[in-house]
Amino acid sequence: MKVDRRSFLGLGIGAVAGIAISPVGAKLTDDFSIWTQNWPWTPVPPDGEVSYDRTVCHLCPGACGISVRKIDGRPVKIEGLDPYPVNNGGVCLHGIAGLQYLYDPSRVKSPMKKVNNRFVPISWDDAFTMVAARLGELRNDQNPETLACISGSDQGSVPGLFKHFMAAFGSPNYLTMPDLESWLIRTAKTLHGDAYTLGFDIDHSDFILSFGAGLIDGWGSPVACIQAMGTRRQRESTLVQIEPRLSNTAASADRWIPINPGTEADLAMGMCAVLLKENLFDPGFAQGFSGGFMRFTAMVQKEYPLDKVAGITGISASDIQKTAVAFAKAKMPVALPGKGRGEGAQNLKEFAAIHTLNCLSGNVNKQGGTFVKPLPKYLNFPDPVQDTVALKGAGSAPLAGSVQELVTRIDKSGESPVKALLVYNANPCFALNDPSRIRAAFEKIPFKVCVTSFMDETAMASDVILPVSTFMERMEDVPSKAGLAATVVGLSKPMVKPVFNTRSPGDVVIGIARALGGDMAKSFAWNSYDACLEQVTARIWGPLVRKGHVVLSKNLPAGSVKTDFGFLAENPETVKPAGALEFTLIPIDNFRVPPTVPAPSPFAIKIVSDRILKGTDMFVEINPQSAKNLKDGGFATLTTPAGSVPVRVHFNDGIMPGVIGMVKGLGHTLDNRYVSGKGVNVNTLISPKIEPDSGMDAAFCIKAGISKA
Amino acid sequence: MIHDKKAHKYGMVIDLDKCTGCGTCAVSCMSENNVPFKEDESDKKDSITWMRVYRLTNNKPFPDTEVAFLPRPCQHCGGKGDHGHSPCVSVCPATATDYGYDTGIVSQIYTRCFGCRYCMAACPYHARYFNWWDPVWPEGMEKYLSPNVSPRMRGVVEKCSFCYHRYQLAREKAYASGSDEIPEADYQTACTTACPAGAIVFGDLNNPSHKVHQIVKPDPHPDPLNPDVVGKSRNPKVFRLLERLGTNPKVYYMSEREWVRKLGDHYLDGEWDKVKNVYGSASHE
Amino acid sequence: MDAALIPEGAKRCSFPKFMLGIAIVGAVLLWGVYAMLLCWFKGLNQTNMNDYYGFALWIWADLAVIAVGGGAFFTGLLKYIFKIDELKNIINFAVIIGFICYSSALLILAIDIGQPLRGWFIFWHANVHSMLTEVAFCLSCYFAVLTIEFIPNILENRQLNKVPFFHHLAHNMHGVMAIFAATGAFLSFFHQGSLGGVAGVMYGRPFAFREGLLIWPWSFFLFTWSAAAFGPCFTLLVTRVTEAVTGKKLVKDNVVHLLAKISGWMIFTYMIAKIIDTLYWAKITAPGLGFELSHFYTSNGFYGYWILVLEVIVCGVIPGLLLITKTTRENPTFRLIAIVLAVIGVCINRWVMVLQIMAVPVMPFDTWALYIPSWQEVATTILPVAYGIILIAVAYRYLPVFPQELELNRRPEARES
Repeated sequence: MKVDRRSFLGLGIGAVAGIAISPVGAKLTDDFSIWTQNWPWTPVPPDGEVSYDRTVCHLCPGACGISVRKIDGRPVKIEGLDPYPVNNGGVCLHGIAGLQYLYDPSRVKSPMKKVNNRFVPISWDDAFTMVAARLGELRNDQNPETLACISGSDQGSVPGLFKHFMAAFGSPNYLTMPDLESWLIRTAKTLHGDAYTLGFDIDHSDFILSFGAGLIDGWGSPVACIQAMGTRRQRESTLVQIEPRLSNTAASADRWIPINPGTEADLAMGMCAVLLKENLFDPGFAQGFSGGFMRFTAMVQKEYPLDKVAGITGISASDIQKTAVAFAKAKMPVALPGKGRGEGAQNLKEFAAIHTLNCLSGNVNKQGGTFVKPLPKYLNFPDPVQDTVALKGAGSAPLAGSVQELVTRIDKSGESPVKALLVYNANPCFALNDPSRIRAAFEKIPFKVCVTSFMDETAMASDVILPVSTFMERMEDVPSKAGLAATVVGLSKPMVKPVFNTRSPGDVVIGIARALGGDMAKSFAWNSYDACLEQVTARIWGPLVRKGHVVLSKNLPAGSVKTDFGFLAENPETVKPAGALEFTLIPIDNFRVPPTVPAPSPFAIKIVSDRILKGTDMFVEINPQSAKNLKDGGFATLTTPAGSVPVRVHFNDGIMPGVIGMVKGLGHTLDNRYVSGKGVNVNTLISPKIEPDSGMDAAFCIKAGISKA
Repeated sequence: MIHDKKAHKYGMVIDLDKCTGCGTCAVSCMSENNVPFKEDESDKKDSITWMRVYRLTNNKPFPDTEVAFLPRPCQHCGGKGDHGHSPCVSVCPATATDYGYDTGIVSQIYTRCFGCRYCMAACPYHARYFNWWDPVWPEGMEKYLSPNVSPRMRGVVEKCSFCYHRYQLAREKAYASGSDEIPEADYQTACTTACPAGAIVFGDLNNPSHKVHQIVKPDPHPDPLNPDVVGKSRNPKVFRLLERLGTNPKVYYMSEREWVRKLGDHYLDGEWDKVKNVYGSASHE
Repeated sequence: MDAALIPEGAKRCSFPKFMLGIAIVGAVLLWGVYAMLLCWFKGLNQTNMNDYYGFALWIWADLAVIAVGGGAFFTGLLKYIFKIDELKNIINFAVIIGFICYSSALLILAIDIGQPLRGWFIFWHANVHSMLTEVAFCLSCYFAVLTIEFIPNILENRQLNKVPFFHHLAHNMHGVMAIFAATGAFLSFFHQGSLGGVAGVMYGRPFAFREGLLIWPWSFFLFTWSAAAFGPCFTLLVTRVTEAVTGKKLVKDNVVHLLAKISGWMIFTYMIAKIIDTLYWAKITAPGLGFELSHFYTSNGFYGYWILVLEVIVCGVIPGLLLITKTTRENPTFRLIAIVLAVIGVCINRWVMVLQIMAVPVMPFDTWALYIPSWQEVATTILPVAYGIILIAVAYRYLPVFPQELELNRRPEARES
């Protein structure tokens, strides 16, 4: 057949027509749609057998029991454990997002060492050998006290192991980050003596006088507090919230009393004066008053008269008087210290003055009141084997009482008095005031080891990173703290095998000690951390494993406590915000933004308001009355004595005129694009100010100026 | 209208005086339902949050300012007269969203949706979200995804399902135990169980033994002032969002605070004072 | 070069000049195609649409081109059913404009949906309650009708018409065109209406919601009416533009006057209905739901009462009056002003009924949402314009679109274009 143009055309048309009426078109159309329903790049989670496992969350001091739903052993959902003595089924967003932390992009996947300012992976053996070699030098040089350790917390067997390590090594320089519990212990120590802490029975109290404690903004054990607040109205319990800004807690309170930032201590002293003057304190409890009560009484009457306190705090004299009287006359009053989450820069004077209100009310170690509890003593570590080097070093005077004070020491010395540093579960290079100053001090320390799960700001400033498993991957005892009335020890268990080449922090300590050899190794004779845990918690191990938790004290602490007013009687000076600018900048604790370790999860950042964070822009809150030429949503420059940053303005009627609020915990620079590079770290704007009596950074707020950008 | 006695009408009541605005409900929902996240989620008009928490204020200057939080899941509207013609269901051209007459739940079939977004335009609550992007999890993180809810592909609409998969599991469990009754505790949404403040109560609005029914006391008869409205609460503290539109949501809100209740709907000048004390008729009890 | 294809006796510009023009417009077209491919392959994240603006620029463009494309069905209706014979001189062009508008509308829809490969689910899983289902069915059917109406004109091309089969086919199709015109008018009535219904049935959106007759909200009828009223204005406008570009008179004045007059009266009566509808909505419907009129036009940076005045008075009542008044209608300048205003007016109406609906907050604590389209959206919206220009240029060059062209341009000095 001859193919000419005509027949070719005809064939073509015929073929097209044929295909058009054949089922091919319909079939392809259908196939295409089925393909879109099964795009290979959209994951299909594998199905499998469902199981539930229980453990304890230790992302924050809350120590909630959690239930983990698994599919073929793969955790897919975290929920609150019910019943559990801390949180009874409740849970918070960070706990739920715990699964995200498992696979967080900033996880440290294997041990790393810094070479030419870059981290390269090394083996665990190499890491231990290297760390031991560097630390060993200090002992060889007879200078073990030049090793310092910064830990996120003070309680539980892992911090216990670090302390054990420091003792065996021969250094007294074990420091913790300023969390609420550390402030409570310090307060109890000041008023009642060593080895006490404070707990608050907000579940039963009928009058809560909160000096900025963010009861629903993350203070204390957050879920327990929110639950107590959830039933507060039914229990006809009154909440009076005193703080410069209408926080969510203030918004839910029966009464919000705005106060000039940083004057809470003066207010509490003024209220003490009212109670003493009007004879509204509990005479029975007063029998336990010792040292300095009379001096204290005379001092507050003289130094904190109503009018003067009204002037300082910005609260009317009658309001102060009425509130103090209402507090004293309540059946079960409790006064709560700790602004926001109660951690970071606070001050001892304020904690002590507020707790003095509790003492004067007499509602101490009674239901609905304040519990002065002995610190939990369920851990029994064997005595460390200390050689002469260790004995000498451990006996030397500690370099500092707080991390900030240590940084100041390093800052002021030509050569760092700290030659090596261990950091565990803490991110001082982000979470403390003026992080650049802390990083500079780190620079001067010749050798830094960071024991962490995440490549955070502190890890990046270290020489060696020893990655630890997250709470979902490891066994550990988790004592409750943070102002809870009951003392509960939970057992966190691995829900999943470590995702990366990580170890339990206990095993890391043991590993370093063993690599150091000699007497150090003798102090750490356990085969593994798990064996160590079983041994040191022997007294409660059985029930701990069986039930998953042990309640150490539920009932009221027994007996009376002595109360010493010596500290306050001296009328320590209130730490005032630095600078002379027009506004006062305060950090805001927002429930959705964790300010310390770990950094926020992608889920948490996702639900942060667009009036806190927009793109990478940071918002600050300001009252429209004091906003002058600033525009809502507009750009501005915020300046403090510590620095200057671009911000955007959010008009909030619920913040005192003259105050600027900035959410704390944003502005991370870690390796996680979902969290990093967003907003500003408010700590960079606040310079630390050491409170002489506590040695702690007490710069809660700072003077600031703001102008249109 | 559902006359079948056995038909459920699942709904919830959220106590805005208890809600702390913590956002746990939102995260629990995202974790339960495999909701993805992007690098920047600060554009809230492009951020998939089946449960979104709104901040309300009374708009008064310092120091009389008050703030409340309002969690907003899909309202699972029954539509005008509660006939099942929800604003979104009635407009979907491909029947990709449907009203379950046995549960009162508005479903979404992701594999059928072709992404016209008419339902989003029709929904006054902005409860519907479009997958503008392919869902992508950081490497390894897809391991936490739950098989109970399929991750959505790019180009389709998604929304709160009242954790329908939990209903299915509870129903299977009930069948297995030979009962056709689903116990109240067996079917609870992820936001309800997560809420640390206990602000959310979920259950069957048709079942007088369920707590949600006892709190809401829904009036089964049309509102004499507006016959489109059915199921108005007989509890003076309880209200619904935009009730006057006749969407008949199954999500109720509760507050002691009048300014909060007033923010639930639009009122002309002077109208609020006339209607604020009008609740579902008690005579229908 | 292509002289054999050009209608007999007609003057056309040189082929290279023609191709240059096509190339310039073609570049814009390619830009649009590139944006379209981006949207298809990367998804709708290429746009600035969001969860508040599920309907945005494209849907407006869609509604607008369908509205102005309404000239096809209405002119067809007048010509074939009401037997207004003068309109045969413009019907071809009306059909081509309609064809362009409707094919563009379908293309825009194919880009707009999130899952284009599943677009056919609208037919397969049709929900009869949805206005969009009605739109999809009627739109597709009417597009088929427009294609059928366009075919005879194509077959009249000088070369094609030499094929006896095509010649007879074209002739016979003309004969039965009344049936298609009637079908087209019927389909148009429903899809124009259902596009109005799309907004009107959204009872969750008080700005859009309209009460109505049975299942049809008033906006249903208003949309049909406005398409019939303003569509011919667009036909006249494009004719005028074509005349300007070609430098030739293509349609006789009496035809233009007639269509303008009909359009004017349609606009005038439509505006009465529209004003009644607006007043009823503003005074009864919206307040009944708790909304003051001011809610829809204040407290935002863009939408004010001006848009209402612009749509209803400036671009509605005024062009209507200009076209029903003989003196202004027959004055070329006033007529041009009137048809330009009218076309703008119907486009504003569609804008309001798509974009302002999305912008107005409904929950009392929600805020106005404004949006600016991305370049991809703008490019894909311009794409149909470029395509339309090319199609008109090709059709004008090779098809006897304007029956009066030769008669009107017999003078030897007629300029080339």
